[in-house]
Amino acid sequence: MNNLTDRIIFDNVSKFYGEVLGVNRISLSIPPGVTTLVGPNGSGKTTLMNLMTGLVQPSKGSVSVLGLTPGDATEFFREVGYCTQFDSFPRGLTGWEFLMDSLMLHGMHPADAFKLSQEALERVGLGAAAVRKIAGYSKGMRQKIRLAQAIAHRPRVLVLDEPLNGLDPMARAESLALFEELGRQGMHLVISSHILDEVDRISDRVVLITGGYLIAEGNIHQVRQEVRDKPMQVLIRCDKPELLASRMFEVNHCVEARLHVDGRGVFLRTGDIDQFYTLLNGIAVEGLVKIETVAPADDDAYSIYQYLIGSDGGTAR
Amino acid sequence: MGINHPIDETLHHKDPPAGTTVSSLGTPVIDLDRLEVRLGGRTVLDGLTGELRGNAIGLLGPNGAGKSTLINTLLGFHLPSRGTAKVFGMDAVRDRARIRQAIGYMPENDSFIGNMSGVHFVRYMAELSGLPSNEALERAHEALFYVGLGEVRYRKVSTYSLGMKQLIKLAQALAHGPHLLILDEPTNGLDPMARQRMIQTIQEIRKEGSIRMLISSHLLLDIDETCDEALILKNGRIAALCNIEEERRSHRNFIELETIGAADSLAEKMRELGCECACFPGGRVKIVMPDQIEARDLYTVAAGQGVQIRRLHQRRDSLEDIFLRAMDNDRDSETKREEQLVGL
Amino acid sequence: MSVYKHNYRAYTGRLTPLWTRVLVLARYGLAEVWSSKITIGLFTLSFLPTIVFIILIYLANNPIARALILHGNDARDLSINAMFFLVVLEIQCWAALAITAWIAPRLITFDLADNALPILLSHPISRFGYVLGKFAALFGSLSLVTWVPCLLLFVYQGYSSAQPWAAANLQIASGLLFGSILWILMLSILGLALSSWVKWRAVATGIIVAAVFVPSGVGGIITGVLRTKWGFLLNMPFVMTQLWRRMLGAPELMWRDETIPTAAIVIMLLLVCLLCAAMLNARIRAREVVRG
Repeated sequence: MNNLTDRIIFDNVSKFYGEVLGVNRISLSIPPGVTTLVGPNGSGKTTLMNLMTGLVQPSKGSVSVLGLTPGDATEFFREVGYCTQFDSFPRGLTGWEFLMDSLMLHGMHPADAFKLSQEALERVGLGAAAVRKIAGYSKGMRQKIRLAQAIAHRPRVLVLDEPLNGLDPMARAESLALFEELGRQGMHLVISSHILDEVDRISDRVVLITGGYLIAEGNIHQVRQEVRDKPMQVLIRCDKPELLASRMFEVNHCVEARLHVDGRGVFLRTGDIDQFYTLLNGIAVEGLVKIETVAPADDDAYSIYQYLIGSDGGTAR
Repeated sequence: MGINHPIDETLHHKDPPAGTTVSSLGTPVIDLDRLEVRLGGRTVLDGLTGELRGNAIGLLGPNGAGKSTLINTLLGFHLPSRGTAKVFGMDAVRDRARIRQAIGYMPENDSFIGNMSGVHFVRYMAELSGLPSNEALERAHEALFYVGLGEVRYRKVSTYSLGMKQLIKLAQALAHGPHLLILDEPTNGLDPMARQRMIQTIQEIRKEGSIRMLISSHLLLDIDETCDEALILKNGRIAALCNIEEERRSHRNFIELETIGAADSLAEKMRELGCECACFPGGRVKIVMPDQIEARDLYTVAAGQGVQIRRLHQRRDSLEDIFLRAMDNDRDSETKREEQLVGL
Repeated sequence: MSVYKHNYRAYTGRLTPLWTRVLVLARYGLAEVWSSKITIGLFTLSFLPTIVFIILIYLANNPIARALILHGNDARDLSINAMFFLVVLEIQCWAALAITAWIAPRLITFDLADNALPILLSHPISRFGYVLGKFAALFGSLSLVTWVPCLLLFVYQGYSSAQPWAAANLQIASGLLFGSILWILMLSILGLALSSWVKWRAVATGIIVAAVFVPSGVGGIITGVLRTKWGFLLNMPFVMTQLWRRMLGAPELMWRDETIPTAAIVIMLLLVCLLCAAMLNARIRAREVVRG
């Protein structure tokens, strides 16, 4: 792999818990930026994150994060921050104590730890509440203190397991902005999320996993284009959808047309997206059809999820 | 047109959804009058006043704003210190049993009896709501079929996955045929497909027409897809109470484009025509077009500049904008409120 | 041929009256309790003493059988009187304690373990109704081992004895009935209250038994150290026995300095009930109890 020290590398990794499968034969190379892990519950996301943060060792294969392995413990854990989905804390601690303790575990001087704690609390937006005991926090506040703990020691890799759970809309937007910012600064962020709308907004890359297997990996649009058995679908809202559809059918690129239920739009599938748009732009200029909206109908994480994982990937009924 | 029947007269001026009884047209679903609720010495709900009439009402607000407390008060778990809260005209304090009869509640957290099978649990809840034993069994199975729990219903609830636990909560809320369904974070923890199914189920229930809904969620997308009215709380007060559809119709903001090619020159040319344009990285352009300019002109200009337009849509006010407008961006007071009201 | 679509439909049937919901709770509680084999085992064991007592009553009323079985050796006066029934009552009530320790946690802890109360109380049932339902289930089950067998023994004695024994000993009957009821009322509320405070059933079982015995030990210490008879107030079995003596009309204890006046006993029992009610009030709540 080129530039080992810039990536998180999984080399043919498998993890079994006794007979129970965690993940099987996963090979990944994660560059800097925001990478989102998507998959049903129980698909192996948490296992993957535990492997990345050194909490479990692979049964087979090897994991290396920025060139480090959990064997180089001090450096490894300094570079990695983990915000788990589990809502447990040491008892009796206040927010401050929790952060300070976590930082001093890295061997920091209390004065430095204090400064970094303060910074982290400010970044997550948990100011005055930090002096209270964590046991009294609301769900959203507990999420924030977990996040603070993960970013406080300024790691280069941040692993976040459903970090927006329990946050109200503003806190969600702020956290997403924070993640985007950190991604731009060159950090490796690995975020697992079910809210694919938000995934679309901030991810550079997406990793789809189900049943412990890696299904797809890469930039969302690239992944979408590679799902060739489902040609790209575009929704066009206009005043004469049937006319548009027939014009598009005249050339061979359009493979399927479906009218929208309200009669004012048409879904068109095409194998060649570039030609398609050239054609569409041409038709729009002709003026026969008044175009209101043009939107890719399935170029997002949810559609990829549907095509590749589908309903069977989820809860057994 | 033709003979006007008396019933037609009453229904004439409004379009009630199928199944609405005539009587419910007049009574608001929830009626709050200077409602004040104090818990542990603090005022959590501070003088809420308003009428909610929508078919599906979204309950929004930052953490600590009082959403859970409002729901708990409607269910009769808290006593108001001042003011009143009414559900379908019934007072939350005096008619508590009747209100609970008419409500189905799906709480946010885990709430079940672990060592019962799914169908036993739902039947139990239905019987508590007054269904005779046999009818309760029938309705329990119906509700379980409707939410999509198959063979799993015969297993103990403690063995269920998270998605199934959410569904069993919904099933027990539906089994006795409530008039108001209160859903607290119904898609919490669900993977994308399960979440979509839940949203679809909620939309179907809404279409059926005999049940009103109150949905509390942090995901604006959920509320946007299911609700027609939104109640936004902040600091124990009503920050906004609006009809989502009307808000959307009244604002028509601007056009967003995604392009391949020289977006800047496109923007220049559009400005010459009198539009306001802004360019963003990735070929995104936002344009406010005056009325005389159409999409066709936009395409013509684009073709002239060699720009291919790949995405075009008119951005209307979304629930997010409504929500943000209702919020004050004073973060410190929010955090303080949050820490004051933790755990409630 | 048609295609049938099953959508949600509203319920338009009849509803049961509001007060019967408490019975629904009781019914489901009983079903839960009796689904366990250990419950059946405990109940069976509780009837063994009853069988022994039936035999004793039979022997007492049939001199021939008595002579045959006891071979005339036993000169013990096997007379069926208040003292006899006091022993009956005591033993059956001990059995009731054992059963409460097993049953009461099964009634409450399952509901509290997974936070079912918000859903339960979102139905037309109040907190008081909830406790009442569970109480009824517990009370009903305990009745089966206390006053029911006791009264049956009474009836059997009345039937098999020569004289109009029953009419002459009605006080025994009323003592059996009300003494049992008093005891199982106490046990029920104590069992429910203690079960609601503990998370695990095994621990709840232990605590219910301990709640009866530990104060006795403490009371014993107080009596010994402070040389006062009032320490005995904490010894629930001891004072209950005294109360039952009086209710059955059995002769009082010889030792004057160990007798506690009825009023004191009643007051203590009331206090225990109030304490239990307070415990239930604190724990049976719809609002999700926040840890810490």
